[in-house]
Amino acid sequence: MIAARARVPIGRARFSELSLLVWVGILAVLGFVAVVGAETSSFGVASIIVPAVFIVLVLSLHVFLVARRFRGDQVLMPIAAGLTAIGLVLVQRLASDLLLQQLSWTIIAGGAFAATILIPRDLTALARFKWTWAFLGVLLLVAPLFPVIGREINGARIWIKVGPGSIEPWEAVKLLLVIFFAAYLEEYREVLAHSPRRIGPFPVPPVPYLVPIVAMWGIAMLVMVFEKDIGATALFFGIFLAMLFLATGEAFYAVLGLALLLVGGFVAYQLFGHVQARVDTWLRPFDEDLRFGTGYQLVQGLYALANGGLFGAGLGNGMPERIPVVWSDFVFDAFAEETGFAGALALLALYLLFLYRGMLIALRAPTTFLQLLAAGLSFIIALQTLVIVGGNARLIPLTGITLPFVAYGGSSLVTNWMLVALLLRVSEVSNRMRGGP
Amino acid sequence: MEITFGVLLWGVRIAFLVVLYLFLIRAFSALQHSLGAETQVAARPAGLAFLVVQRSVRGAPRVGDRLPLRALNAIGRDAGNDVVINDEAASARHALVEFADGEWWVQDAGSTNGTLVNGATVRSRERLQYGDELGIGRVALRLEQ
Amino acid sequence: MTAPIAANIRSLTLTLAAAFLVTSVGVSYWTIIAADELANDPFNPRLIAASNDRPRGAILDRNGAPLATSEKGANGFVRSYKDQSLAQVVGYASLRFGLSGVEAAYAESLIGRDPADPISIWRARYLGERQAVGSVVLAIDEKIQKAATDALGGRRGAIVALDPRTGAILASVSFPSYDPNQIVDPQRQQAAMDQLNKAVDRPLLNRTAQGLYPPGSTFKVVTAAAALESGFDPTRKLRVDDPYQPDRSWGDYFVRSASHAHGLFDMSDGLRLSENIYFAQVGLQIGGAKLAEYAKRFGVGATPKLDLPAAKGQLSDSGVIERPTLVADTSYGQGELLVSPLQMALVYATIANGGVMPTPHYATEVRDAGGHVVRQIAPGAQGPVISPGTAKALATMLVGAVAGPGAFAFGAKIPSVDVAGKTGTAENRPGEAPHGWFVGFAPAAAPTVVVAVIVENAAEGGVTAAPMGAQVMRAALGK
Repeated sequence: MIAARARVPIGRARFSELSLLVWVGILAVLGFVAVVGAETSSFGVASIIVPAVFIVLVLSLHVFLVARRFRGDQVLMPIAAGLTAIGLVLVQRLASDLLLQQLSWTIIAGGAFAATILIPRDLTALARFKWTWAFLGVLLLVAPLFPVIGREINGARIWIKVGPGSIEPWEAVKLLLVIFFAAYLEEYREVLAHSPRRIGPFPVPPVPYLVPIVAMWGIAMLVMVFEKDIGATALFFGIFLAMLFLATGEAFYAVLGLALLLVGGFVAYQLFGHVQARVDTWLRPFDEDLRFGTGYQLVQGLYALANGGLFGAGLGNGMPERIPVVWSDFVFDAFAEETGFAGALALLALYLLFLYRGMLIALRAPTTFLQLLAAGLSFIIALQTLVIVGGNARLIPLTGITLPFVAYGGSSLVTNWMLVALLLRVSEVSNRMRGGP
Repeated sequence: MEITFGVLLWGVRIAFLVVLYLFLIRAFSALQHSLGAETQVAARPAGLAFLVVQRSVRGAPRVGDRLPLRALNAIGRDAGNDVVINDEAASARHALVEFADGEWWVQDAGSTNGTLVNGATVRSRERLQYGDELGIGRVALRLEQ
Repeated sequence: MTAPIAANIRSLTLTLAAAFLVTSVGVSYWTIIAADELANDPFNPRLIAASNDRPRGAILDRNGAPLATSEKGANGFVRSYKDQSLAQVVGYASLRFGLSGVEAAYAESLIGRDPADPISIWRARYLGERQAVGSVVLAIDEKIQKAATDALGGRRGAIVALDPRTGAILASVSFPSYDPNQIVDPQRQQAAMDQLNKAVDRPLLNRTAQGLYPPGSTFKVVTAAAALESGFDPTRKLRVDDPYQPDRSWGDYFVRSASHAHGLFDMSDGLRLSENIYFAQVGLQIGGAKLAEYAKRFGVGATPKLDLPAAKGQLSDSGVIERPTLVADTSYGQGELLVSPLQMALVYATIANGGVMPTPHYATEVRDAGGHVVRQIAPGAQGPVISPGTAKALATMLVGAVAGPGAFAFGAKIPSVDVAGKTGTAENRPGEAPHGWFVGFAPAAAPTVVVAVIVENAAEGGVTAAPMGAQVMRAALGK
């Protein structure tokens, strides 16, 4: 408290953030030393170049916030940085040839974070352009289906070509979607929650108010079916349900939605080969016909988990590289193999802490729009984590969702850091307006 | 010397896990700490200033009521607002009144019928002086100390 | 009026927190509770990988001759298998197809993590010391193995030889076989495995322990043992008239004699001339319950305690024998009986071992990198099945079954050695030639080797199998 109140002539001190970032730095260095040490059987200075670059990056973001006299939350950014550090350690461990790429994306993500802190001067103004966001979201969703710019990777057509690489527009869509829903629901939540007509205990909202939401959702579902990405569809649906529930408090919407999801899932199981394969793989990955086919990746992941035990095989000492595409789909299992249940639990706890902090920001947010926005954004991170970790641990069918901040992949890293910036902005509005740290 | 390296490497691995947990604990306690500070602020009684009802309709606050203000106040028909104006002509979230940099400010929150200050429609974020009259729907409120 | 959003945020957060809890429990299941089972799964590459970037321990025969070794190739270490006749026993260690045979059963020992050596396990796990791999020594004797392979001569079937005193398996041939070197060769493995999986004669099956056949006349010793222990007088002569049925209620169901015999038989005659009608009558006299009890004591219908996968077979479809016709047919080894050659060898090993059944095992030792024995594999005997007296009486009669006048198993004779044994001709599906059996041991007075031979669809049945048994026993006895 005393430290936080100390007068600093330039900027506004953020001591909690700084001290947490020091821990992140130590974590990054230790991780790299362990992984590179195990690989080369020696401790070399070269191993700390990447963590050093990373530390410089997060410290400059910190200095940037201090210089801006930024009054937002001080915990979220270090948690995101810690997770990103773990991600870099794992890329070095699992696919060191992709490390430079991931480091570049981390720097771009840092830039995107700073830009998001700076650019929307008035956060509440975002709500006014809700139809723009909806339109942009749909456009981005549909983009991969167009012949020239769309690309199909690993059976899912969810990528668009940009220069030499490709990006996943879905990642940006999830942010746009939350902004749109937050704005739309702020306006109409009362109508939706207190409709005059009820069938039994269930509210039946006036049709015109539901149309835009259902249409948005329908477009998303259709596109996802054509783009063959079950995970993104599930996430989409989850965001839709969560936002509807947050705005109206009607558990009925959530229950109805989940029922629809199950029915839809069942129909999809009957109709689409790729859905059927996913579910079969989940139910019986060890069966002879699957363990070397579609179940191979999952079974290898489970072997990795089993090798982890309580305290892990030690960083660089396991064999997670046996899992195909481990660096994007199975980073959680890889981390759990080398740091054990202890490490996996700490990782999950970090996400839980992120969720907790994000939801507290939502609770304190001064307007309904900001509340819905912060809660929706925090929800994305939590749901993504649950869906991919659940898939990795065979609790639910495996999907191609990325583990936020940790999994290899540029689009997801950039958007997730923008998401952090948005949450920080919301907390800043509360702090500035209500007073406080 | 092989063993020495192996033991050292193992030390680094253990340290990684320990630091991971220390970071987690620090992050958690930092969160609790800031939470404490926030609650303290939130617990401060409202009453920086008041909006005094000048003109009203049935169901809305009565004329002469002194509505206390915090640093930030959402005004509208919805119960989630800091200042609730139960008038059909008011929007669910109508306007925001905040105290920042030592002064009072008002901005419209996308209301249907607009927000007025001394009879003029609020276009952007505008300064409020003590004694100014704020129009929300059919209700008029005066900012007083 | 709408309730504040705060309550909704709280319930959503609580729901998600609960989901996090469930997820953590799920992760703890795989990392801790199911960890052991998965760690020892034969397809876990952590058990196999040593074959690729580090050498994998060698598999040796009892005299130290290599059966499987790791050799340095262009892309790391390659597993090399020396003896195709042991393919199903030694198995393979393939990154693509996992582990089988001894490679699977002793997977941890072969990567230097034998369960009997916790310090090595710890060092390997936490210090990454995995170069130090030991070896697994089998009881297989290359010389006997070769004799068995030659004896079978490329016919479909199996031969197993074991030491009745210890249960150590000295030879184990199962034909058709395959080349495990193809299974570990990245270029050829998929084609080879596809072909093996498609092959109708199932080369991947270890017929010695996993092949199931009707035992035919070799099973008559079990009926004899049950009878002797129930107080049946072996010298009492029974009337045999082909075809046989005890009463008219059997309708047109008869027990047939292989030699269309008519006359008086005692037990010794019954075994020597392999008389079905004699044993059908014995079985009916002692009753199905007694017969079933002894069959079970001899291990019929139970999985043998083997260090490799083994089939359990069956006494009958229902597990009991009550119907008189089924009692009669089971008594001479037909009915619904199914046994593996190993199970039959264990029946005879029990007789050879004074009534005590040994526990069969392929491996005898696990050694560390320095050649020191880390673990002795010497499972104790499984306990008495029949009395020493019964065993002695049966052994004497089995010597007669090989060397007596007109004995069916004459082909198993070895000069200057008393061989005890029994042939069998197992009827199977109509229209298919019967399987030929021989099971026996030598020297009869103090047996050191038991052999079981099965030749699938052998036209002459036991006559084909008996000389093969003799050939293997001669190799084992050095004659």
